[in-house]
Formats: sequence, C-alpha cells, structure tokens
Amino acid sequence: MLETVKTLCSLAGPSGWEDEVRDSILERVLPLADAVETDPMGNLLVFCRGRVTLPKPVMVCAHMDEVGIIVTGVTDEGFLKFDFIGGVDRRVTMGRRVLIGQNRIPAIIGVKAYHLVSDDEEKKVPKTEELYLDIGAESEAEALERVHLGDCGIFDSTPIEMGEGLLKARAIDDRCGCAAMLKLMEGELPCDTWFVFTVQEEVGARGGRTAAYRIDPALCLVLEGTTAADIPGVAEEKRICRVGGGVVIPFMDGGTLYDRGLYELASKTAEKNGIAWQTKTMIAGGTDASGIQRSRGGVRTLALSVAMRNIHSPACVASVEDLENLPRLAALVLEELVNENS
Amino acid sequence: MEYTGLGRLTERLCSVPGPSGSEYNVHATLKELLQPLADEVTTDVMGNLLAVKRCGIENAPRLLLDAHLDEVGLIVTGYDKGFLCFDTLGGVDPRMLPAREVTVLTDPPLHGVIDTLPPHILKGSEMDKTVERDKLRIDVGLSDEAARARVPQGTPVVFYADCIPLGKNRICSKALDDRAGAALRVSVMEHLQNKKLAVDIYCQFASQEELGMRGSITGTYSVNPDEALVVDVTHGSTPDAKKEETLLMGGGAAIGVGPNMTRRMSDKLLALAKEKEIPYQVEVLRGCSGTNAWAIQVSRSGVATALISLPVRYMHTPVETMDLRDAEAIVRLLCAYIESYGEEDMPHA
Repeated sequence: MLETVKTLCSLAGPSGWEDEVRDSILERVLPLADAVETDPMGNLLVFCRGRVTLPKPVMVCAHMDEVGIIVTGVTDEGFLKFDFIGGVDRRVTMGRRVLIGQNRIPAIIGVKAYHLVSDDEEKKVPKTEELYLDIGAESEAEALERVHLGDCGIFDSTPIEMGEGLLKARAIDDRCGCAAMLKLMEGELPCDTWFVFTVQEEVGARGGRTAAYRIDPALCLVLEGTTAADIPGVAEEKRICRVGGGVVIPFMDGGTLYDRGLYELASKTAEKNGIAWQTKTMIAGGTDASGIQRSRGGVRTLALSVAMRNIHSPACVASVEDLENLPRLAALVLEELVNENS
Repeated sequence: MEYTGLGRLTERLCSVPGPSGSEYNVHATLKELLQPLADEVTTDVMGNLLAVKRCGIENAPRLLLDAHLDEVGLIVTGYDKGFLCFDTLGGVDPRMLPAREVTVLTDPPLHGVIDTLPPHILKGSEMDKTVERDKLRIDVGLSDEAARARVPQGTPVVFYADCIPLGKNRICSKALDDRAGAALRVSVMEHLQNKKLAVDIYCQFASQEELGMRGSITGTYSVNPDEALVVDVTHGSTPDAKKEETLLMGGGAAIGVGPNMTRRMSDKLLALAKEKEIPYQVEVLRGCSGTNAWAIQVSRSGVATALISLPVRYMHTPVETMDLRDAEAIVRLLCAYIESYGEEDMPHA
C-alpha cells in the first residue's frame, strides 16, 4: 500500500489534466478488471465481479486529480502569471517550486528578498494576482517557447517517509484513495463492484457526479483524504481529526450528510475488527459524495478517509498505519454490506 | 541545461548544510577542493576557513578574498507536544514558512515540515494575514518524549531543497547566498593555479555573516590584509521589488560604489571590467553594504576594501536563483584584479 501511494503521489494530475494518473492506473487495473471504461469526463470506471451479483452494483470511488496551478499570462520580462486550480491556500505558495506541463518545466513562485519586505508587507499574504512564476526566461518570447497559456502545474515535492511512521507527499489527497482501490481489486470481492477513479473533485466534485449517473449504484463508498489540524495552538474541538488516529468515518462534512446506517455499520465494523477509527469533530471539507449522493433518485453514501496535515500543500503529512487501514476497513465494510443485503 | 564547471561546483557546495554556526559541515568539501590549489588551508575557532596561496615574493602585499560560508536557517529552541519550537538563524521571511520542508540537523538528520493552520480554523480576513514565526512549529512526526530525546535544544535546521537548472543560464537552490561566493572563488583559485602572481591571496570563507558579519571580524584580524575584495550576493530584479532596489540578472558583476568601498579599488575594478570587456553593472551603496565588507573595512587600523556582488533573486529562501553568466563575470573580474598586481605594488624597501 505504502509503495503504491508513493508511486501515485509522484504522478501529476491537476484537475482537468488527470491523464498521467489515469494512464498509470489503467495499466495496473487491466489484469484485475472484468471491464474498463473511460467516460466523457475522463473518469476511469473499472468493473470487477464479486461472489454475488446484487440487483444494483456497489460503487467505490476515489479522485485522481489534485490541486495545482494554471498559467494565465506572460509578462514582458518573461515571468508567468497564474491562478490556482482547486483550493490552494496562498499562505503555502510563496517561494515554492512548481513543475509546469507534461515536460515538467521547473518554475519558482517568486517572493522578493526579506531585506526588501516592509513591515506592512510582512504582515500580509500577497493576493493571487500579485504572485508570479519564474522559469528563468528573459523575455515573453523566450517564455512562450517553453510554456503555453493554460498549461497546468503541480508543486514540486517528492514522497518522503518521516518521523515515527509518517509519509510526507504532495497529492496524498487523494492518491491514497486510488491506492486503496487498487488494493481492494487485488483481493476477493464480496459483490460486483464498480471502482471509479474520478476527475475534477477539487473543482467541485464533478467527476463523481457523472460517474454515479452512469453506474446507477445501490450505494457508494468514497475513499478520501481529509484535513487534520492536530497541531499545537489548535483547540481540541477544532482539530477535526488526528494523524495516526485511525480511519476517519465522517457523519457529515461541508458537502454531505452521510447515510447514518452506513456510518454506523462502518464504525461498528471497525470496532469489531480492532481497526482504529475516528470521526470528525468539525463540519469541514467535502468529498465526491456530494455529487454522488444526489445522482438520479439518490444514492446511499459513506466516506472513509485518511487524516492528513497540510492538505492541499506541497507537504501533506499522513500516517502510514492509517493509509494501510483504509483498504482493510473498506474491504470489511463491503463484506458487511453484502451480508446485510443478501 | 548542462551545468558549467562553476554550476556543478555551486551545486556541490550548496548541498552541504551549513547554517550560521555550523559552517564546519562545509569544511571537508572545501578542503578537498582547495588543498590542491593552495599552499595552506586552515580553520579557526570561529569556524572560518582560510586558504592561502603565496606568490613567493618576500613581503608581497596580502589580498583578502572574502565571502561568507554560512547560509540562513533555523534553530530549535524547545518543544510543544512533540513539535519543535524554533527561532531563525539570519533573516527569514515568515510568509514562506508554512508547510515548508526542512532538514533538522541531528545525527542522523530528521525530515520535518513546518506546520500550517488549515483554512477552516481561520476567519476570512485571517487567510490574508501572515502567521507569526513564533506561532509556527516544526513537525518531525515524533512523540513529545521522542522529540526531546532525539532533538536537543540548539539543533540547527536548514531548508530542504536541492539545486536545479532554471531556464538556459540560471540555477535555483537553497544557500546560493553565499555558497555561490565560495564556488566562484574556488574557480578563481583554479584559474590562478599556474599563474605567476605578485600578491599573496588569503581566500577566506567566513562564518556567521548572517548573524552580523561575526566570522570576518576575527578572520580579518588574523589575516591582517593590505586590501580586501569581498564577494557576496545582491538583489536580482523581480516583479514585486522596486527597480531601483535591484540589479539585473545576467547584467554582469555588480561593482559596489560608496563609502563602504575604497574608491580607488572600485575605480580599478570598473576600469578592468571595461578594459577586459567583462560584463558589469554598478551597485551604488550609500552606507552599510550589508556584507562582510562593512566589518572588514574597519579591521585593525582599516583595510582598503571593495565589493563585488552576484545578483540573486528570492534571497534567503530555498529557491534562491542566480545567473551563471554573472558568476563567470565575477570570476574573470577577480582574476583580472589579482593579476594586475605588479612591481609597483611591492612594498618599498
């Protein structure tokens, strides 16, 4: 699981440009799948037969996309103007390395020397329109030889294991969910299942919505990464969840009130099997569930998430044990669901 | 991009962590590079490293060729539930610290990430405000007990970043300020290897500049030079800085002019640059240059001093950026200055 997460985290897939992630996952799922489709949105839908065929299939999903940047302009001096794709906190962008486009052109989000920063400037985070990218070009023409308007970029950050069982990487949200689905496919499945690797979650849970319409599932299990604020200076109730505190089973977040029955089934399954779990102490964040739950006549949805610090930054930090428990609990929950429905 | 020899040298020197007070980490690499090029390589109690190249002429003038060896960094001051409290070593902009990756210089080193309050904790306007440095912590993924056991107070910390090419002529790294000055002086020593000179060169790699030019104060006293040429970095132009506060990237060696620089030396550098067609630009400094030149000029009974600077963008961040053409221009200018010493510079008997 850890190796798969690290491999997937080294791929680039800002929303709308998930091709590299999809190609890599497609290669891995081909030997495991009974059917594979890519829909018009770019979602990768993988069908795997299980022991039983329920009237409607079960859907499991995780998103392939990540937050990033998109080039919006070039200045006379050869700097690039850009905007963010998805929810990026400007406070983690200054003086960062970014890789632009499929050729991974290195770029810097500039910040002038501290010596030149006034007291007033130091107190404020620059607005997005004040930020710029430096690719080492000396003119507009030179810049346009290497990048184009609309090119997307990702933070330059390599997965590194740190501390006592933690992983630092970019895009663990939600490559951890993608890796967990790959892990589930390798095992025996209790029922026919559609695994969906979705696109565009970070810009409004858009891929999950169309995929759910296409599959018309009985219920959906969303595997995700979720924000943890378990750092000094944050009150206990505002920490949401804890890195290393177990799989997060939310009852509600910013986009979805999860199916209470499924929430209880999942938490009981975790307890019965001695798998650490926690829920969120604040209603925050959102998942593909928001698009899926309201598909067609409605879909029962459940989310299982991994807690991570510095989510949407170049340096997300998650617990390896939590990462490994995600597919474990997901498999047990699927098993319970089938027992309940047959 | 293919690095020139100078680019590779810079990359190699930047890869060694040497924040103020830990310059000794870089000594081994420098000794390896300089021992074949110098008559003598020594270190002192402050962490300065000195490479001496003698010309063989008795009572030859002593030229101090100075640049600082330290880089900015952080230092662990205490613990907060397994996270590390820290202060800065040198001037570090707090705005670029959240979610920043660092190397905590324990043995073996620990990877760390500076924490960041997620947006949900903050009210709208707080998203635009800088988190003050003393509210930030380093996450090393350890329990409180393990952090206390493995990371002693006073442990230095550096940014985690390697050196990459940026465009055709530039490189981006942590610690270019002022490991670039170290690299280009090693290159100068290489160029001078088989040259007949009329000056003794004291190539000083000074410690603790970022804390207030401390190493050069004692180092210069020990060398007791007749003249000093200081190499440091200056601000390269960026869209968010005033044009008049910055110099051109790729515009050549920045020759300092002002009270911190002895006028005849600045004039000589300008004349040599013109004569040898070495790209240069003038940096006017009305007072303190913010470099070791300020301390060196008033060493003992005073030292004739000049300053040549390398334009660097994003100074004191992990993404400092320099143009290799500027570094090459500085190497040429330093060599020209050193080779210009002749009979007339010899002390009169």
